[in-house]
Amino acid sequence: MLRDRRTATVTLVSSIAAGPIFLMLIFNLIASQAERARDLTLPVAGAEYAPALVAFLERQQVNVREAPSDYDAQIRRGDLDVVLIVDDEFAADVARGKPGTVRLVFDRSRDRARPAIEQAESLLRAYNRLWGDQRLMLRGVTVSVANPLRIETSDLATPQQSGALVLFLVAYYGLFASVMGGMAVALDTTAGERERQSLEPLLMTPARPAEIVAGKWLAVCAFNALVVVLTLTGFYATLAFAPLPPVGVPFLFGSREFARFLLVLAPMILMLPAILLYVGSRARAYKEAQANVSVLLFVVSLIPLVQLFLQRKEPDWIMFVPVSAQYSLLNTSLRGEAPPLASLALSWLAPAALIALALFAVSRRLSREAILAGR
Amino acid sequence: MIAVDGLAKSFGKRRDVPAVRGVTFDAPNGEITGLLGPNGAGKTTLLRMIATLVIPDAGRAKVDALDVVADRYAVRRRIGVLSDARGLYPRLTARENVRYYGRLHGLAGRALDERIDALFATLGLEAVAERRSAGFSQGEKMKVAIARALVHDPDTILLDEPTNGLDVMSVRTLRDEMRALRAQGKCLLFSSHVMQEVAALCDRIVVLSQGRIVAAGTAHELITRAGTTGLEDAFVALLGSDEGLAA
Repeated sequence: MLRDRRTATVTLVSSIAAGPIFLMLIFNLIASQAERARDLTLPVAGAEYAPALVAFLERQQVNVREAPSDYDAQIRRGDLDVVLIVDDEFAADVARGKPGTVRLVFDRSRDRARPAIEQAESLLRAYNRLWGDQRLMLRGVTVSVANPLRIETSDLATPQQSGALVLFLVAYYGLFASVMGGMAVALDTTAGERERQSLEPLLMTPARPAEIVAGKWLAVCAFNALVVVLTLTGFYATLAFAPLPPVGVPFLFGSREFARFLLVLAPMILMLPAILLYVGSRARAYKEAQANVSVLLFVVSLIPLVQLFLQRKEPDWIMFVPVSAQYSLLNTSLRGEAPPLASLALSWLAPAALIALALFAVSRRLSREAILAGR
Repeated sequence: MIAVDGLAKSFGKRRDVPAVRGVTFDAPNGEITGLLGPNGAGKTTLLRMIATLVIPDAGRAKVDALDVVADRYAVRRRIGVLSDARGLYPRLTARENVRYYGRLHGLAGRALDERIDALFATLGLEAVAERRSAGFSQGEKMKVAIARALVHDPDTILLDEPTNGLDVMSVRTLRDEMRALRAQGKCLLFSSHVMQEVAALCDRIVVLSQGRIVAAGTAHELITRAGTTGLEDAFVALLGSDEGLAA
């Protein structure tokens, strides 16, 4: 396999580079969002109708500008994040004792704009409260009359627990490496063997089919393990040497997490080669095998996404579900906790059964004469 | 020494496509036995049954008194097979390809290396021994495949259409090698649909048609039995037509 320089290089280099590239992108994203939130630039139309509001915003370090006339289009294009429109009846309404109308225009589907939108909203709420409080005080009413509820929050997330997106991606990519790592080798050693017509000579040797299958499986596992280790090394190196704290990604990926990841991924590293060998052994040619494998990959890559979007507390039986169990345990590890031994043990059950089943099926196929037919 | 007794095999979901229907013959040591027949006569299936890859529906075959079904792994140690499928591992050198099979046959170390050296010398493969097989010509690939089939020094050698797709020089090398093996007292069984091929090389000829043996014996015996003057006429007479027999 290593002699196939191009495939080997692509697989290995991409696995080691994936972590750094991924993380750099995410950090950039987070950093630029933080930047945007800090220095909010707010185009305002009709600033002359509410000079007090504009003065308040400027006191809050907001960079107030005159809004362009085509602000709708610019927001749709993503050139502007949010625009404040002051109604031209604002001053008149306020004078008559009615609420003055201001309008925020934005496109909430743009993730990039979200911090700016939220900040603009919260500034307007703050101004609203400030103004209201002042009116109450003028009338000699204590402010607490209008604020019967005091909300205190205490966030129990440890520093590592926030930054959910980064958590998800690191766990997801670790899992993905264990799925993809052995693919090329597994298919080459089964479907490829048939395609290049070296299977029949191989079966002519005194080696038992079970021995041949065990050898292929171990070889693929070794390669898969190498890819996973390289991928994790990529994460480790990036997080160890990249300047993280200013970006504010509060999670750890140190040698302890590295070891826990390997421990959690071990059943995957052993299971996927067995399944890939089975899929490969059913195909007559490499291309056919790839088509079949893509279905498998789709399912495997979908599982963590479903888990992410369900956002529910995971049921106990999840430890019996391969991929899901590992994804959940990887997240536990990233949160800085040790994966419970009982869960680890349970997470081995299904993979162990699948490995045995898949390898048995492959060696059955190899000992059947149908494997020789039809090339 | 190969002894085939009433071998039969059918394919298809309902076993309704007969490939070999009751074939009996012997292939003794120190002789080259040729299986001659048109395409689809059942030659490959018959060879695969003797090579333990296909389980017969009926009858039995023995290699050196070992049953090809019951003692299949013992049989595999004694036979060398150059099958229709001659795929090499393109990323491995010629030597590595052969060494891999030597290891699978339980050989190792210096004995294996010396054996490979000797085989490569006989087959004229020294020049390409350390090159990867990806760029090999058909002839070079065939020679490596022969070396691979012979690496464990088998007493019985099966060759399925060995000359397919080869140029004249490669065919000559192959013939010389087969004669050399015969001189060592090996049992050789090879299949072909090319009449000259069989006539030039074989001590005994088994003529197959539609899964049955239609004649067997030396070239001289076949001519006598058919009552013809030449071998070609004898084949045509025995097969009932010259359909499928390449001239």
